Formats: sequence, C-alpha cells, structure tokens
Amino acid sequence: MVHHDRLPNDGNLSWIGGKTVHLVKRRKIAIILGILPALLVYVVFAIYPIIQSFYYSLMDWDGFSEMTFVGMDNFSKLFQDPLFWNSVKNNLFVVIASVLGQVPIALFIALLLNRKLKGVKIFRTIGFLPVVLSTVVISLTWSLIYNSKYGMLNEFLRAIGLDSLAQNWLGDTKWAMMAVLVTVIWQFIGLYLIIFLAALQNIPVEIVEAAKIDGASEWTTTWKITLPMIWDTVIVAVILCISGSLKTFDLIYVMTHGGPAHSTDVMALYMFNETFNNLQYGYGSAVSVFIFFFSLILIFIITKLLGKKMI
Amino acid sequence: MDTIARINQEINGTTSTKKRMKKTLIYMILILFAIVNVYPIVWMAINSFKSEEEFAVNQFGFPKEFVFQNYVDAWHTANLGVLFKNSIFVCITATILTVLIGALASYFLARFTFKMNKFLYTFFIFGLLIPIHATLVPMFILMRNLGLLDTPITLLFPYMAFHLPITIFILTSFIKAFPKDIEESAIMDGAGIFRIFWSIILPMSRPALATVVILNFIYNWNEFSFALVLINDPTLQTLPLGLANFAGQFTTNYGAQMAGLTMSLIPIIIFYLFLEKEIVNGMTSGAVKG
Repeated sequence: MVHHDRLPNDGNLSWIGGKTVHLVKRRKIAIILGILPALLVYVVFAIYPIIQSFYYSLMDWDGFSEMTFVGMDNFSKLFQDPLFWNSVKNNLFVVIASVLGQVPIALFIALLLNRKLKGVKIFRTIGFLPVVLSTVVISLTWSLIYNSKYGMLNEFLRAIGLDSLAQNWLGDTKWAMMAVLVTVIWQFIGLYLIIFLAALQNIPVEIVEAAKIDGASEWTTTWKITLPMIWDTVIVAVILCISGSLKTFDLIYVMTHGGPAHSTDVMALYMFNETFNNLQYGYGSAVSVFIFFFSLILIFIITKLLGKKMI
Repeated sequence: MDTIARINQEINGTTSTKKRMKKTLIYMILILFAIVNVYPIVWMAINSFKSEEEFAVNQFGFPKEFVFQNYVDAWHTANLGVLFKNSIFVCITATILTVLIGALASYFLARFTFKMNKFLYTFFIFGLLIPIHATLVPMFILMRNLGLLDTPITLLFPYMAFHLPITIFILTSFIKAFPKDIEESAIMDGAGIFRIFWSIILPMSRPALATVVILNFIYNWNEFSFALVLINDPTLQTLPLGLANFAGQFTTNYGAQMAGLTMSLIPIIIFYLFLEKEIVNGMTSGAVKG
C-alpha cells in the first residue's frame, strides 16, 4: 500500500519546516478540490433526493399546497392497497422470468458458441445487438410486432393457418404480461451470453482436452467440468439479472403503461401514476422509499444466499 | 485383420456422420437464435419502406417499390431533427463532464492516502446499488425546487450523478494499478498535482477512459425515465422521450412509426458495428461491476 502519502522528496525537505507544512497544506487543498466536484454532484443529485423522499413519505402533499405531517399513514395505506401488492407480484414475475429465461438461454447459446465454428463472431455480434439499443425503441418495435391488427406475430400466425391463435397480445389481461416478459427476456440475453462466453474462454484448454482423451463425452465434460468451472459467473449473472429486472420501468411504461386493468403494473409504474397522475407526492415518496429498501434488501439476501460480496 | 479394419472404418464413418449431424444441429439452433434476435429490427426496417396498402397485405417480403414518404412524415411530425440535436447535446456534455470530474476524483482516491479515502470510495460505490427509478419522484421535486425543470441542462445533473459511481469504480481500480513511482520524476521536475493528473495520469488511463466514455454515452443516449419526469417541453425532449410521445400520438400511422424508429437506430448501430469490441467490453464490465 504505497500511495503517495507524502511527496517523495519530503525527507529532503523536512529540515525546512515551513516548506513542508506548506506542501502538506497544498496537498490537502488539492485533494479537496479534486474530489469536491464529483462529490457535490453525487450528493446533491443522487443521495439527497433519497433522503428527501424519506421526509416527504411522512407527509400528505399534493405537490403544490401546504404539506401536512401524517406520520406512517402513507405506509399503512400503501400496505393495504391491493393494487400495490399486485404491482409487487408483477415485479417479482419479471424478476423470475428474467432469471429463468435469460440465464439458461444465454448459457445454452454460449456453450454452443464456445467451439471452433465458422461465423462465431457474427453470432456474437448479432447476439449482443439488442443490449445496445434503447429500451424505448425496443418497446415500440415489439408493440408493433404485438399489434392486434397489423402486428407481425398475428400476421405470421395467420400465414401458417393458425388464425385462431391470433390475439390482442398487449390488450388482453390474459396475454399482456406474457408478451411483455418475452420482450424483457429478449432484450438482455445478449449481455449474459457475452459474460458467459468470456468465462468459458478462460477455462484452460488442457483440462477439457484431458477429459476428451479420457473418453468423456461432450455432455459429461459440460456437466462435470465446464459448468462447475464457470459456476461463479453464473451466480454473478443471476444477481445481475435480479437487480436489473427489479428496475423494469421504461419497457412497461411504453408497451402497456401497466395495463390492461393493471395486469402489467410494476412498483415503479404504480409510484409514477400515484404521484403524477393522482398528485399524491407524499404517497408516491412512500412508494419510492419502499422500492429503495425492497431492492436493497432483496439484493442483500440473494448475495448472502449465493455467497457473494455486495459491493 | 480385414474385419477389424472394416469395423474401424464403420465406426469412424458413423462418428463422422454423427459429428456432421451434431454440427448441423448446432448451426440450426444458432441461426434460429440469430433470426429471433435480429428479425424484429429487420422486419421493421424493411416495412418502413412500404406504403400503407402494401404493409397491410405484404409484411414479410421486400417492398415492391421503395416509398420514402414514411421517412418524410416521421422526420416532420416527430421533429426528429430537434430530438437528435437535444440527444447529442445532452449525451456528449454529460459524458464529458462525468468522465472529467470522475477521473479527477478517481485520481485522488487511487493515489493519495488521507483519512476519508476509504469512506468516500465506498460512499461513491454505494451509488451502484441505488435503484434509479426509486429516485424519480424526489428528483422531480428537487429539480422543481431548484427551478431546473424543462431547461436544456436539466438532464445533465441526474445523468452525471448516477453514472459517477461506475465511472469512479472503473477508473479508480485502473489508476491504482499504475506503478508507484510514475509521478515521482514529475514531482522532481516541480510539476504540480493537477499537472501530473492532466499530463501523466489521464494519458495513461486511456483504455479505461475509453470504457467509461462508451458506457456513459450509451447509458445517456438510451435513458428514458428521467427525461420523462423532468422534461415536458417538446423542443427539449431527447430521442427516446420524443419517440415514445410520437408513437403514442400517431398510433395508426405504422409506416411513419417504423421509419422514425429505424432512423433513430441507424447511428447507434453504426457506432456498434465500428466499436463493437470496445462497446461489448465496456457494457459487460459495466454490468458485472455495477
């Protein structure tokens, strides 16, 4: 740990006491000047709003007139609202679908790509493409695909004679959630694919070769050698996937706005609507406090369960 | 002897057919994956060149004749020119500022020991755990109190604040790894601390800087929720926000919607194809560390 605790020529200067003090002081000022801009922006625009939301969550406030202190009323109202619990449930659906959809598919494709094949690079490029695109563009594109009248999905079903299966995918409470989940899964497979490929390529070739010489089939090598060796990465991906899918907001806002009949409502959307449509800033702040702790605690539990460090 | 050879040959024969079948199967799965991945985009791009009449009857083929009217419509009704301009301004300014102040802070966090160092570093990294959407409501209130709703610089503040943690995380670990004596000769020459930062640390951090620049750029370019909450003025909207509003208002003009979406995709796809390696590395390391 040899950082520049002292300037390297401190020793030579120690006899000119005044000069050293001057240098130490200058160093201190430099440190403050260097860190302050980042710290200021970060504290004012990331930390302070959260602290502020704790305060507002105890108030009854329409955002414009005087606030009144109501203690924990907002929270008790929140916990009694079935629509809120519905949004929590849907949020957990998104989490589960992402983990069970993205991780296994990405792992499977990564295992297929991790061999000498022509065109591996092209598959990688195409695989990662959706990750780069904006969620809004993806949501709008998939909304067109799901469109009941002209959407590609229904056109395709009609073209192969399955007219009866054509649905109003985003407009039907039975199908909307599933349709949204397919898009959620589609969007991020590529991210995990690349993470898994990188891990697979770190496995020493000799180990796999040795297993082959011993007559192990590819199936056995995959299960007994490859997967155990990248298991840590799989766990990191699961954690990433959970914390990422907890954040789902943009996609559902654009595709269904939580509808129809709240069937795709998630916590952040519930908060958004309660705050900006129903003008309940105090109540909305209570929801954001809940989301804050809910996410932190869930990630904490999962990282503990899977034996990883949180930061 | 003869039989053994024949058996051997047969075994080899079957294994090689088996091998070939396996390879074909793998290719089929991969091609299916690629189609699922890219076809939604291709479908949209192709159909954006069709007239409304043709789109209704021929969705899966190439356009019989290319119609550019959709593009003209989209450009005018969605105000794409303004959206592009706003997105480019916000994105580039926020990226430069974040990386600059982030790099400066990282330099001091990585190469100086002082009492608060560890605490400050952890405090910054904690930002990676903050669920951004939980801050939408308080952010709106804060910006309104500051009189910063609906201004050209509004979005810079949340974008900087929320991307500083990953920027500082990546840069600090990179700068920490420099050999300890690199600044010494410069100090001997009498260079000041900031001079060392500017002419030694920054140039040496180039690979990590590239990663954080790309990461910041893509996050900012695609950001939607802060823009949704903080920007109302149509002349200040960024591309994702403007496109979402446009699609909401012109739900029946599919051709123009597809044309608008396709146009907004072109720059990012070109950017991706040129800088694929850097983007993929940046975004995966950003995700894994984030």
